[in-house]
Amino acid sequence: MTLIILLLGLGVGVLVGLLGIGGGVVLVPAMVYLLGMDQHLAQGTSLFILLPPIGLGALREYWKQGQVDLRAGVLCALGMLLGAYGGSLVALPLASRHLKGMFGCFLVLSAILLWRKTRLEGKSVSAKGESASG
Amino acid sequence: MGKGVGQGAGIFAVALICGIASGMFGIGGGVLLVPLLGLLYGFSQHRAQGTSLVALIPPTGVLALMAYARQGFVSWKTGLLLIPGVFLGGILGGRLAEKLQPQKMRQVFAGILFALGTWQAFSAWWR
Repeated sequence: MTLIILLLGLGVGVLVGLLGIGGGVVLVPAMVYLLGMDQHLAQGTSLFILLPPIGLGALREYWKQGQVDLRAGVLCALGMLLGAYGGSLVALPLASRHLKGMFGCFLVLSAILLWRKTRLEGKSVSAKGESASG
Repeated sequence: MGKGVGQGAGIFAVALICGIASGMFGIGGGVLLVPLLGLLYGFSQHRAQGTSLVALIPPTGVLALMAYARQGFVSWKTGLLLIPGVFLGGILGGRLAEKLQPQKMRQVFAGILFALGTWQAFSAWWR
């Protein structure tokens, strides 16, 4: 069991670096299905994992390439701090079943957004390459 | 960058929405932040990902975590075991992202998310 958990962490970490995400979106369903956790418990544990700067190593690699907008990043961190607290107040009183279903819908929505982004990028990669870094 | 304040306020609003999703679903929020920075503000994919990682460095979920912990919804031991792997994997992934043309990778990831999400919604409500 411990080995599964360690390997799961490593796999999620690769996605963190590869996609620039926190990894919770993969961790939560993985803990629900592989470790048999309840939805609320999986979400709380995921928030705990995201507390230390686990993305720091990945960020360093992006920083070396100049692919970081520091000002936007700081603004986002502030907004997310406040928003996350509000979100937890909404989630905690919900029944686990409904929360799980809503999580599923959220994943579908994220998938659609990610997919749209890659399609747009494919079309306009030559036009945007210059202006986006300004 | 003359569009400073307006754009800053917009980004802050986007981040608030990502934060709400973060607290509600126990995630980092990057999965929403990355595509939104790209779609709304024209960030290139690598730049959106790098910026999202900045937003994930400070403990933005700390208030939400405290709310979950108060109700006993945190498995501290599992969390501690997962952290080192995620950190090391992150470095690996960051290196890989520079070498790969990550477009295909992201499409695969979007497909997996879609399937996973559909499955979760079904198993929660139609079982």
